[in-house]
Amino acid sequence: MFELHSLGLEDAKRARDAILAATTPADNPIALMIADEHGVPVLSLRQDGAAPRMLRRARAKAYTSANVGMDTVVFRDEVVKAKARTLTDWGDPMITSLQGGVVLRANGKVVGAIAISGNATSRDEALARKGIAAIGLPA
Amino acid sequence: MITRLSIGLDDAQTAAAAVFAAATAAQGPIAVAVTDAEGNLVFLERQDGTSAVNVRNAERKAYTAGVIGRDTSMFQLQITMDGRTVADWSDSMVTTLSGGWTLRRQSQVIGGIGVSGTDDDERLALAGAEAAAKISVDEWRKHRSPPGEG
Repeated sequence: MFELHSLGLEDAKRARDAILAATTPADNPIALMIADEHGVPVLSLRQDGAAPRMLRRARAKAYTSANVGMDTVVFRDEVVKAKARTLTDWGDPMITSLQGGVVLRANGKVVGAIAISGNATSRDEALARKGIAAIGLPA
Repeated sequence: MITRLSIGLDDAQTAAAAVFAAATAAQGPIAVAVTDAEGNLVFLERQDGTSAVNVRNAERKAYTAGVIGRDTSMFQLQITMDGRTVADWSDSMVTTLSGGWTLRRQSQVIGGIGVSGTDDDERLALAGAEAAAKISVDEWRKHRSPPGEG
């Protein structure tokens, strides 16, 4: 037997509040996905005007971060690009290399992931990091 | 050009909050999903202790209610009477599990709400659908009332 550790809904709500507070009028409407350590959604929202594909993308980013245990940009640069692989190598249609998904760890273990889509992918990642910081787990 | 209405995030969150308010702790944790009329997720919240299948089914119920334009229980009754099965829709997101309600505004389908986690999903989801319907009625009243009245 072994234990699984996930972020809870209260953690997810703290992250959501921090992320929404960090958005500015200069940002596009965003899609947000906060997922558990398996990439299963815990809390998700799509602001008015954010296209449905934005949430599909955010869901894929969160799923990827949780399952590979890396921020998606790190996965892209240090795994996909550095080892000259393609995404089909993973045999998983939900795996993406788009920047904007960040992994949430507690005591070294993956407990969830936060991902955003809607703006430039670097901005997506910066906003997602606000959520990680707000949850404030001991990394 | 045509214009259609779609549920927005505010109303989706209001509906979901009504579901959580209707649920009792004894019923156990639930997942709630709200989609637009095309079945695209607008809002999802999952209480601690719900399983991945609850999350998936909450979304599938909302999807079905939004895309098919039938509450999922009514949809089940209808396809049974018609001698059909869900497989006829060739869409793995379509479900006949009870607990999905269609959301309307001005007689248009604007989305769906789905709940999963209890044996009372249908009633809980209805609380959300009613909260969304109340917004619709309140807007209509505001629109219809002459200035200074209502």
